[in-house]
Amino acid sequence: MDVKRIARDAVLTAAALTIFIVELQIPAPAPIPGVKLGLANIVTLTALFTLGPWDALAVLLCRVVLGAAFAGNMAALLYSLTGGLLALAAAALMRRLLTERQIWVASVFSAMAHNFGQLLAAVLVTATPALFTWLPVLLISGTVTGLFTGLAGQFAVRRLGKYLRHTHGK
Amino acid sequence: MAKTGTWIAVIAVILLLSVAASLFLFLRPAAGQTAEIYVDGALYRRVDLGALAAPERIEIRTERGVNVLLAEPGRIRVESADCPDKVCVEAGWLEDSAAPIVCLPHRVVVRLTGGTALDAEAG
Repeated sequence: MDVKRIARDAVLTAAALTIFIVELQIPAPAPIPGVKLGLANIVTLTALFTLGPWDALAVLLCRVVLGAAFAGNMAALLYSLTGGLLALAAAALMRRLLTERQIWVASVFSAMAHNFGQLLAAVLVTATPALFTWLPVLLISGTVTGLFTGLAGQFAVRRLGKYLRHTHGK
Repeated sequence: MAKTGTWIAVIAVILLLSVAASLFLFLRPAAGQTAEIYVDGALYRRVDLGALAAPERIEIRTERGVNVLLAEPGRIRVESADCPDKVCVEAGWLEDSAAPIVCLPHRVVVRLTGGTALDAEAG
């Protein structure tokens, strides 16, 4: 295993975890399950667009599992995992269609996929299809938060891209 | 590579559809005054809020935790819960919305349905 790669992905995971824990202190903008800023996705997005899907996946999995443990909310793990994996898949697909100035577009679709995945997990877990009532609201919230985290991620890629890529594939 | 404008248009269409659907779903009055409480996907209790004479506390105790519901004539809310996120408590009163109150950590769902308890049973 490449030590540089492990170290770099660990730094990104630490950054994502820090952002995740700080975000927990921000009150949810609306009392709707699944509505949140999702600031930690900035790091997933940055990893995806500079290092590729596999490093992004590693950072995502470590952050989600450790985040649930640190937040003392293991019950939420299933939802964040389903949402996070779908979001990454969506962003990774979008990446093939976009330029580096359109990263925010990937983020918007990624956030929508995240909210859809979470909701799907919630419907399956609670066996209550009525929860799909929240889907349109979650898509709106996903568009707004995805736009915000996407622009942040785009700036991060522009500023940090060369340093992150510098340690890539050596 | 599609133009940025194309993507903005696609996102705008999705956003507009979602806003329209949200307005339709949330401004639409709930079908009735019967609150259904689901735990783990199974119907736990059905309360006819219209027929309720006095406020009633309903305590839901599962191995996951406790949710205390307060039913009043015409409305119901989660009064307190020991779940980590408290989204269910912050959701406030459910009185005429078709959107359910959800406590995901405890797998508790409260929603209003139409008609009398008998109708709901038949449907």
